[in-house]
Amino acid sequence: MRNLFQVSAAFEDIMPAEYKSLIENGPFGGDKGVTDLGTFKELLEEHPLCAGCGLALSLRLILASLPNPEHTIIVGSTGCSALAFPQAAVHNIHSLFGNQNAVASGLKRALSLRFPDVVKDVVVIAGDGATADIGLDMVMHSWFRQERITTIMLDNEAYANTGGQESGMSQEGAVLNMAPKGKNFSKISVPELAWASGCAYVAAVTPANPRKLQSAVRRGILAARETGSSYIQVYSPCPTNYKFKPNQTIEKVKSREKDGTYQVREYISDEAQLLFDRLEEVKNG
Amino acid sequence: MYAAVRINEIICIGCKKCIYACPDPNVLSFDEETRKVSADESRCKGCGLCVSECPKDAMSIY
Ligand SMILES: Cc1ncc(C[n+]2csc(CCOP(=O)(O)OP(=O)(O)O)c2C)c(N)n1
Ligand SMILES: [Mg+2]
Repeated sequence: MRNLFQVSAAFEDIMPAEYKSLIENGPFGGDKGVTDLGTFKELLEEHPLCAGCGLALSLRLILASLPNPEHTIIVGSTGCSALAFPQAAVHNIHSLFGNQNAVASGLKRALSLRFPDVVKDVVVIAGDGATADIGLDMVMHSWFRQERITTIMLDNEAYANTGGQESGMSQEGAVLNMAPKGKNFSKISVPELAWASGCAYVAAVTPANPRKLQSAVRRGILAARETGSSYIQVYSPCPTNYKFKPNQTIEKVKSREKDGTYQVREYISDEAQLLFDRLEEVKNG
Repeated sequence: MYAAVRINEIICIGCKKCIYACPDPNVLSFDEETRKVSADESRCKGCGLCVSECPKDAMSIY
């Protein structure tokens, strides 16, 4: 499918070098992954997110994990990640805050009608406020309907883009600029909600383990192609709102994993497991 | 440029941990021949995550 983005010979001398390198030695073509980072031009370009941003790191790893970026359409929502998408060389739509899963459902259905012979991956990438609070209705109903989409939450445990309000994903007691008394109920267990809502594949991962993150993204997208909805939650700590040093973002992830307050976990339906086993067999010949 | 990373190429063992830790794209690159990491300083925001992750203290922010 590389030819989809191939530069026409007549335009070769005027195409930007960055565009050419995306095609000649980049993610288009489908054989690059997180372990190859640093050896090719990434889908994401220079973005305005803060120094040490956990969300930016997660996003960078997620984009490098996409199995088929030239046929992927990302549906985003308002929030910090929306500042990065204009710099991403993947089709992406900015939807009204909270509506992302409704938009993605319609888009996926329209694409399957328009391109019945081509696999198009529709992937929602949105914040925790957009996913677990304001868009929860749209998110859960897309799961009930078994829409063939992947939902990825960039969980920074706050409404970061609007200056630090608590979200349903903040931990109990979390103090933020606009939650000075501390949050008074516990973090919502969205992975368990997703599993109970009928998702075929659910995972909670972190950017501290890029291989695991990549495996979750790929499994989620494959499950959405073949069996049903999938959900992936990525812990992405925010140094700006949680007021730690930008060089401590990964330490933060590791300490939360260690003390058990952020558990990496995976739920796989029988059907999805059969699919993964089959693909594994094909891969190993 | 306010703060950016500097890599000591003699100490770098090319483990790429810094590349997996950087929140900004296309800053750190890995040379497959020399098996060392180098940085595009003009893209670096100086967060220091790579410094925290480097097992050999080969990186610093200046
Ligand atoms: C319909 C609507 N309501 C509210 C807002 C204001 N708003 C913009 S960003 C944001 C918070 C986003 O939080 P989250 O989804 O967690 O993303 P983050 O910024 O933390 O990455 C809010 C409430 C909006 N843009 N649109
Ligand atoms: Mg958030």
